[in-house]
Amino acid sequence: MNDKLGRILIVEDDPKDVELTLTALEEYNLANEVIITGNGAEALDYLYCRGKFSTRSSDNPAVMLLDLKLPKVDGLEVLKQIKSDDNLKMIPVVVLTSSREEKDMIASYRLGVNAYVVKPVDFHDFVNAIRELGVFWAIINSPPPGSVRR
Amino acid sequence: MVRSNFHLRKVLSAVPRYGFAVASVAIALAPGLVLQHYKFNDVELPLFLFAVALTAWHAGVGPAILSIVLSTACFDFFFATPIYTFYVAFADLPNVIFLVSFAALIVWFSSIRHSAERQLRQARDQLQMEVLERTQQASLLNLTHDTIIVRDMGFVVMYWNSGAQELYGWAPEEAVGKRSDELLGTHFPESIDEIRAELLRTGRWEGEVTRTKADGTEVVVASRWSLRRDEQERPVAIMETSNDITEHKRREEEIRGLNQELAQRSTELEATNKELEAFAYSVSHDLRAPLRHIAGYAELLQKRASSALDEKSRRYMTTILDSAKRMGNLIDDLLTFSRIGRVETQRTLVNLEQLVKEAVGEVRLETAGRDIAWKITTLPVCYGDRSMLKIVLVNLLSNAIKFTRTRPRAEIEIGCAARTQGEAEVFVRDNGVGFDMKYANKLFGVFQRLHQPDEFEGTGIGLATVQRVIHRHGGKVRAEGVVDQGAIFYFSVSKP
Repeated sequence: MNDKLGRILIVEDDPKDVELTLTALEEYNLANEVIITGNGAEALDYLYCRGKFSTRSSDNPAVMLLDLKLPKVDGLEVLKQIKSDDNLKMIPVVVLTSSREEKDMIASYRLGVNAYVVKPVDFHDFVNAIRELGVFWAIINSPPPGSVRR
Repeated sequence: MVRSNFHLRKVLSAVPRYGFAVASVAIALAPGLVLQHYKFNDVELPLFLFAVALTAWHAGVGPAILSIVLSTACFDFFFATPIYTFYVAFADLPNVIFLVSFAALIVWFSSIRHSAERQLRQARDQLQMEVLERTQQASLLNLTHDTIIVRDMGFVVMYWNSGAQELYGWAPEEAVGKRSDELLGTHFPESIDEIRAELLRTGRWEGEVTRTKADGTEVVVASRWSLRRDEQERPVAIMETSNDITEHKRREEEIRGLNQELAQRSTELEATNKELEAFAYSVSHDLRAPLRHIAGYAELLQKRASSALDEKSRRYMTTILDSAKRMGNLIDDLLTFSRIGRVETQRTLVNLEQLVKEAVGEVRLETAGRDIAWKITTLPVCYGDRSMLKIVLVNLLSNAIKFTRTRPRAEIEIGCAARTQGEAEVFVRDNGVGFDMKYANKLFGVFQRLHQPDEFEGTGIGLATVQRVIHRHGGKVRAEGVVDQGAIFYFSVSKP
């Protein structure tokens, strides 16, 4: 099932959230192709193969899980840059955030986000949400050409 | 003289007037005969002429002609030779002709005089009527509350009505003949040359001017000027009507001040609202994150160490997880509650029946393993914020499901209780545990709960949220319940 696993780019500043997300993905063997970036600037570096990512292969991730509240460059700004770049705008972006605020939701959809998921407080729900996201975007969904597939 | 004559003429109607002719000739005849007896001849002619003249003067043309005929006949009969016959001797013929022609001349002059007099009288009557009419019109101008001032082109006051006296404090006799702009110290909104130019071009001008009254206080008036031209189209006078708008201006100023204050308050309120929003946002984001971590790591710990933990420790873990979950729900409910106060309602036509179906779909998860008989009757289309009204329905349905949990078969009915002009009352009825009506006023308060947490879980915010939404829509909420027999919740919505 996992032989066609797509690469997941996680943009999350909170190490605890990163750990919980990875735990959830590991539980379902979805964590093999995961890249973690801690802020918006680093995420953009990854996408544009800049800085410490200058030597990475130029393939795009199959999905990007993007937090909104990020240091340096925030999530909405990252989203805006991706969706206005011809080479990047095909990357599916899922906003994964604690914010249930309608204005964040509206702003994200305006910028062309592919999905908006509020991180559930309950761990079971959280694990389920991450699993379903991973399964859908990294396995079921056919990513645009040029994405990393193992 | 003219006047008494006029009265005399009125008194002398036809018969007395002709009687006057006969009498005057008779009176002239009598001294003539007496004097003739004493051989005073040639007195009778002037006497007859005098009688004719008197008749013509006082009795008019008709009686005068009669008096001529009578005088001629009397002269012929009594004085012309041969006496006592109507035959006239050749020698007396000039006398008769003289009498007739001279008398005729007198009558003619008299009638000319009378007709001239009549015309004069008519002209005078007409003039009197006109004067009366003008006086009435002028007094009408005095009746109006508006001030009316007429000035010549040099701004000298020609007319000053009682309204002007009332407003400015100067009597007409004080104002007439003075320059109005000097008397009143007028401040014009534009230069006097511009005003004059507009007046000459369009025939009118209007604007607000400030003036000083006789007592020294200032007054603002709305002033309207009209130009009067004579027959040769030359401008001759300016009529100004104006009314006092000082109070009006003061109120305008007051309203402007209040508006400014309101705008400032509104800005402050907006700032407070922004702060509140920022607070809600940080609650939404920053409080939920650590909560999720508590729940997440507790869960992971439970998983890893479950086998090593004793019964008591496992219960502690479960309690931590339950509490974290409950706090998560509390935060979510509070956020929903606060958002309703902050967000503008977006009102559209909402199909309530459709919305109820959606709400039922949303609470489906809570009905797992339950036997629930739903009854949804016809509901109207209403006017309101769709997403907010859905929150109301989801909350009420969720409550109905929760409080019928102890029933083997739950019955939940949604329907329309009453429809009036522009309003409909929707109800949600259940056969659940109900409530005591003496606590009915507590139902809709924030954090007010009528049940123990271990009996029925809940945050105590749901019904407060329902009430807030309905109040924001201008509607009402109420509830009826009987312990152990169920409850009915009503809310009213406006209907197109």
